[in-house]
Amino acid sequence: MIERLPRLDWLMIAAVAVLLTLSCLFIYSADCRNADQLFKSMAWKQSLWALIGIGCYVAAAAFDYRKLNSLHWWIYLVCSLLLVLVLVEGVEKNGSRSWFSLGGGITLQPSEFGKLAVIFTLSAWLGDPATDVERLKTFILAFVLTGIPFLLVMVQPDFGSAMVLLPLVLVLLFCAGVPLRPLLILVGIGLLMVILLVIWLRFFPDSFPFFKEYQKNRILVFLNVNEDPLGAGWNKLQSQIAVGSGGLFGKGYMKGTQNILGFLPKTVAPSDFIFSVVAEESGFAGGSLRLVLYTMVVVRCMNTAALAQDLPGRLLAAGIGALIFSHVFINIAMTIGIMPITGVPLPLMSYGGTFMVCTMTALGLVQSVYLRHRI
Amino acid sequence: MRIRPKDRFYTTRIYFLTGAMAVAFFVLGASLWRLQVAKVSHFEDRQKIQSLRRVRLPGIRGKIYDRNGFCLADNRPVYSIALYLEEVRRAGPWFRTIDAAMEVIGRVADVTGLTPVIDRDAIQKHIYRRLALPLVLWSDVTPQVISRLAESGCDIPGVDIYVQSTRTYPYGPYTSHLVGYIGRADPSALDEEEYSYYLPDLAGRSGLEKLFDPFLRGEAGGTLVQIDVSGYRHGELARRRSKPGGDLRLTLDMEVQQIAYQALSNYCGAVVVLDSNNGDVLAMLSTPGFDANRFVPYITAKDWEMLREDPRKPLLNRAVAGVYPPGSIFKPLVGLAAAVADPDSIHTVYDSPAVFQVGGRTVHTTGHGEVDLRAALKFSANVYFFKTALACGPDLIFQQAFSAGLGKKTGVEVDYESGGTMPDKFWQQKNRTGWSDGDTCNLAIGQGYLTVTPIQMAMLTATIANGGELYRPRLVQAYRDPASETYTANEGNRIGKMNWPDAALRAVQDGMHDVIMEPDGTGHRAAVEGFDFAGKTGTAEYGVKGEGSKHTWMTAFAPFDHPQYAVVMLIEDGDSGGATVGPCMKVLMEGLYRKMKRGQRVPGVGVLTEPGRGGLS
Repeated sequence: MIERLPRLDWLMIAAVAVLLTLSCLFIYSADCRNADQLFKSMAWKQSLWALIGIGCYVAAAAFDYRKLNSLHWWIYLVCSLLLVLVLVEGVEKNGSRSWFSLGGGITLQPSEFGKLAVIFTLSAWLGDPATDVERLKTFILAFVLTGIPFLLVMVQPDFGSAMVLLPLVLVLLFCAGVPLRPLLILVGIGLLMVILLVIWLRFFPDSFPFFKEYQKNRILVFLNVNEDPLGAGWNKLQSQIAVGSGGLFGKGYMKGTQNILGFLPKTVAPSDFIFSVVAEESGFAGGSLRLVLYTMVVVRCMNTAALAQDLPGRLLAAGIGALIFSHVFINIAMTIGIMPITGVPLPLMSYGGTFMVCTMTALGLVQSVYLRHRI
Repeated sequence: MRIRPKDRFYTTRIYFLTGAMAVAFFVLGASLWRLQVAKVSHFEDRQKIQSLRRVRLPGIRGKIYDRNGFCLADNRPVYSIALYLEEVRRAGPWFRTIDAAMEVIGRVADVTGLTPVIDRDAIQKHIYRRLALPLVLWSDVTPQVISRLAESGCDIPGVDIYVQSTRTYPYGPYTSHLVGYIGRADPSALDEEEYSYYLPDLAGRSGLEKLFDPFLRGEAGGTLVQIDVSGYRHGELARRRSKPGGDLRLTLDMEVQQIAYQALSNYCGAVVVLDSNNGDVLAMLSTPGFDANRFVPYITAKDWEMLREDPRKPLLNRAVAGVYPPGSIFKPLVGLAAAVADPDSIHTVYDSPAVFQVGGRTVHTTGHGEVDLRAALKFSANVYFFKTALACGPDLIFQQAFSAGLGKKTGVEVDYESGGTMPDKFWQQKNRTGWSDGDTCNLAIGQGYLTVTPIQMAMLTATIANGGELYRPRLVQAYRDPASETYTANEGNRIGKMNWPDAALRAVQDGMHDVIMEPDGTGHRAAVEGFDFAGKTGTAEYGVKGEGSKHTWMTAFAPFDHPQYAVVMLIEDGDSGGATVGPCMKVLMEGLYRKMKRGQRVPGVGVLTEPGRGGLS
């Protein structure tokens, strides 16, 4: 064990460690005024979750990822069942039935496990030499496998988490070596559908069947159609103001007025909008530092994928890299107002236990792949 | 197992993906740059607009003192009980916060014994309009209430004492026109944009308060209040202290002003007392007046209506803005003008019969036989002055009158001063009026087109009393800048010297002396036992001839040997100068005589009576 330590991906570990530390610091900044005692604050809980996450990371890194190949169907099944169960037994928060309550204030968000399950299953299945990735059947089946959790998450409804699954399956298929033509056609159709959807929402917002009112509003707000600064547009506007007023070096730690004065709603500042707090208080310098760190994490994942000794390992690392990338991109883009608002948290930064554990486990698995690439 | 560890094809795809992701992050970074660096000022402004409120703090107004240090316009602290709503805020709908505020108001009312004046609607309005400011629950409460609140232990959340400054006029009814009054300043358009919450200055609206408003007002300060998303005050970011205004010290002597007030208060009229040796205004009064304290903090619409509609015109400062024909008090100037043309004219004796023919008209007046200048003044013999004026011509009289300060504003520090009318050539051209000998005769006895203000006549009287020295009446003796400890004198009011021959001046002074001191002088009713002074009466007809509307005048200077006081007193719609003004002038002169006998008063130590608030209209 010890002799393997130098072969760990230390660059990745360093980036993750810095991000975790900053996460606890800025959650404290975003939330400290709401809690009267330190150990009741979100920052304290986040630190505990970070420790648990580190434990998961170590465990996952030590775990031989190749054992997943025999387990992946079970994982898929359990996660799908959890996603069904959450619709029945889950607790509703902010209009979505996405959480299990485990008592003691601890909640579990099975959609996060769902994302991982899709990655495990697809990478194991597509990486299996028995699967002919060049056949259309494989292609379709991959989408069916993704589609089940996708729909289950959509019904919660958690639009953001569901949407993240799409880039995942595309990336996994791409890396598995499926022919480019059907992939490009599919991406083309997808883009076309998005454009049609936007047009429909833009001109006939009332007759659109699938979205709830707030989801339609979020997209319309993003399109600046009915920018309503006090209603649906509030978070977007206030987040933009927070980021924009940060300037080059920010207003200083714990001095972000948008957050202190409550313009950035306290309910979202430590979770989905943590990047607004970061950007306001540490400015472009701090914001771009986070981007560099995330780039490091993602690049190290992809590097692991490139080095991986087998296809399941390669797909696993690439899928997890894509997962981190999608979350970071969607979250930051939403924070600075260049994408509609969705409930996608920022990995390793946003407050949230399940997400922390899942992210750290996933990154641990990447480390596991990295450790074993020369065997 | 189909292991393809170094499959170039798929590794290329991974590198391609990595590159795409890096590019995507780079795009994010560029967007971040655009937002945080390129557009930072835009978002900083947005952020300030939504979270910063400027509150203006008015400066403390300077004070106005009389020459002996009595304060005529003072500041007094106003204690208000205020509630800082952010300290009783409740989550959820506003009515919960209003409930909490009402509960606090109830508790404060219990402790202090005050009746609540703020209701739910008022709180609601405050929340909408000026949430970042404290809500004033009771304004101008007594020190007893404050101490009761303080003794209660002050455990009531959010309640605080709020001190503001307001104006008070200790001698309100005596100094109404002179000192003037204040009102809330209109925020100028510029200021309003600059401040979110405008606590207005007290702005001078009349009198010295208006004339010296920029000097007295000082400089407003301000605070920068940060508000949170609900609009509650979060904290104070910066404060610029306001600067107090400067003080004024007047030439006015409150004792003389009060004597004048006692002398005249029952009439519509005016008194001006000047120091004949330097033009200092010792008293300037117009009756009826008003109590300037009624304008603090603002005058009610009803009171304002009453003041404006009062036929006695209490708002008019008759001493400087009232224009009247001077009548016979103009005669000394006619005599002096004639002497300028011919120094021997003072010895000329004219027959002064009761009937006089001029320009085909017959004038009926009282006859006084053969009189020279001194006797003509003593009896106010009209025909003597007709003849004198016809002899020297009207232009010389105009020129002399103008030089002595008539027909133009004196420049005393008051607002709405009038210059009167000097019907000279320019005026005749402008008004396309011809000039006849009849007009000259009218001019000779201060009738006709000529009109003057009491302050002008006081200036003329002072000039006659002091031997021809001309001084601009001066009301402000000195001023003190807020930054400075000492007063700066407001000097330089000497205008020049009249070219009156000494003998003529002596004759005029003697004539005026006879008016008062001789038993058959027209002004003998003003005489005071033991006090040697001179004067002149005047009765000026106005309006439609024959209706008998008359303004009555008296001028005086005292004591006769070494004149110190030059006095003009006017009473509107009297019977005659001697009969109507004489007794009032006597009261005034008695007061001045007492004051002179007692000697110089010790500054600031006084037995002045402070009038009660109100009482005068």
